[in-house]
Amino acid sequence: MNDIATPVAPTSPNIAASTEAPIMMRPTGELVLEARQLDFSYGKTQSLFGVDLPVERNRITALIGPSGCGKSTLLRALNRIYDMYPGQHATGRVLLNGEDILSDRGSISRLRARDGEVALNPSGLDTSALRARIGMVFQKPTPFPMSIYDNVAFGVRLHHRKSKAEMDVIVERSLKRAALWDEVKDKLSASGLGLSGGQQQRLCVARGIAVEPEVLLLDEPASALDPVSTAKLEATLMELKKDFTIVIVTHNLQQAARISDHTGFMFLGKMIEFRPTAELFERPQSPRTRDYVTGRFG
Amino acid sequence: MSTAAIDSFSEARPARAQSALGETIFRTLCFSAATLLMAALAGVVVSLAIGGWPAFHKFGLGFITSTAWNPVTEEYGAAGPIVGTIVTSILALLIALPLALGVSIFLVEFCPKRIARPIAIAVELLAGIPSIVYGMWGLFVLAPWFATHVQLPILMDFDSNSLIGRIFSGVPNGANIFTASLILAIMILPYMAAVFRELLLTVPSQVREAAYGLGSTSFEVVAKVMLPYVGKGTVGVIMLGLGRALGETMAVTFIIGNSHGFPHSLFDSGSTIASTIANEFAEATSDMHTAALIALGLVLFVLTFAVLATARALLAGQKN
Repeated sequence: MNDIATPVAPTSPNIAASTEAPIMMRPTGELVLEARQLDFSYGKTQSLFGVDLPVERNRITALIGPSGCGKSTLLRALNRIYDMYPGQHATGRVLLNGEDILSDRGSISRLRARDGEVALNPSGLDTSALRARIGMVFQKPTPFPMSIYDNVAFGVRLHHRKSKAEMDVIVERSLKRAALWDEVKDKLSASGLGLSGGQQQRLCVARGIAVEPEVLLLDEPASALDPVSTAKLEATLMELKKDFTIVIVTHNLQQAARISDHTGFMFLGKMIEFRPTAELFERPQSPRTRDYVTGRFG
Repeated sequence: MSTAAIDSFSEARPARAQSALGETIFRTLCFSAATLLMAALAGVVVSLAIGGWPAFHKFGLGFITSTAWNPVTEEYGAAGPIVGTIVTSILALLIALPLALGVSIFLVEFCPKRIARPIAIAVELLAGIPSIVYGMWGLFVLAPWFATHVQLPILMDFDSNSLIGRIFSGVPNGANIFTASLILAIMILPYMAAVFRELLLTVPSQVREAAYGLGSTSFEVVAKVMLPYVGKGTVGVIMLGLGRALGETMAVTFIIGNSHGFPHSLFDSGSTIASTIANEFAEATSDMHTAALIALGLVLFVLTFAVLATARALLAGQKN
């Protein structure tokens, strides 16, 4: 695993932010999710500049780039998790099946905004319903302090009333899809915190897909895992793309090359190049992309 | 080159020897500090036991079970103050716990960062107000208000033989078990809120984001993920509050009414162990009276110790 993400000082004079237009090769298939001209700022610091990201259905889309290039920020804008933090702000458009989830006029906004969420999200959009449609898995495994079964059932219980038998089916199916079932089927009532790091991460994947989201966002999901666990997680993701659409942020270029169908290279808050993965890695068009994927960055 | 290396090595030896001596002194000092503390603790227990022995010897178990506390007839039974201590502490805890939870959850989860810090600091400052100030406020402000606006209307409107009448009976002067508990609750609230806030802040932001990321509402994130996450710490917060409430003296002495009998209702006057000692120690002329008060101190010591030990045991049990 040679992780080539060398941190680069944004102020370095020879690699100042480029003004050239991004090299975009849009997927030909149906787009589930699409960011258009997305700007994002943390308070007064702008960290995304007019980013476009097309996400094709049942494909894995990878986002690569050096630390601080905005790839995680882009991911966080896609399900509005940034709403939790005052001062963080996105403008532009994020379309989920054609509905703009950043605007208040999207059809989701007609859903009832729940108590408590209103304070965090004055726009009135039901982010809770939105996040059930766009799941997220984080860099560090985040099992909740409860049993393996309850972890997987957690999201489902929030949105649907299910009988015990129905829930059993959902939990088993989700754990099987996340390739964790065989390892935990005899200890479903044990705490999720007792699993190994790799198992915890697949538990989080199972929890994320249990609510049948349209898109699953993964933010460097393998960076805290050993190579064996990483390989298992990658195999799981390849399997999952039959049913789900996946966007993955990764520092690991080999990982992006191995599992993704489309790759976007980001730099200093901009999308530099977005193309089918094989083409981006084998025939990068932007000199900056070429330097990054060949490890000659900086 | 090699001689230089040998020279520097031989020079280094005395310095090492010196630091070994320093190490010994350092260890001895640390050991003495720890020993001194344990010795002081043991000294307190032993002198309480010796000083209280006459009372324990004369009244036996009756010292704890009897309610006859009469310095004139030299009869001492401490059931009243003991029950008063436990009842006021638990009542205070019941009042303060939900408030502490609310304050800390608001500060961590909802309050904008800019205001959260000043509020958190203000809450911690509340904990620093001397208890006698709370006591005065309780006696001069809370008690009269409580008597006219709560006790009197209840006395007027409910038959003294009815259930409500009996639960809330008492002299309408505002100095009673309930107002003492209220003051206690206000006093332990800042401690509990501050510690609880620290606890909630230990929940990793990614875990919170993961819960929100599944579409949870704020209530669901707090109730189903954050509270279970800090679960064992909650017991610690409760015990900390209880420990403080048990020993609180001045404020309670001001407002509990200071009668030695068994409290018969929520609005009845009563006493706690600490308030009894504070009230009577200066006036205890007979040896038996003094011994009884010292014995009371030992009971309070054991009670507080038991609470803390229980907390430890619960926490240890939950870790497994």
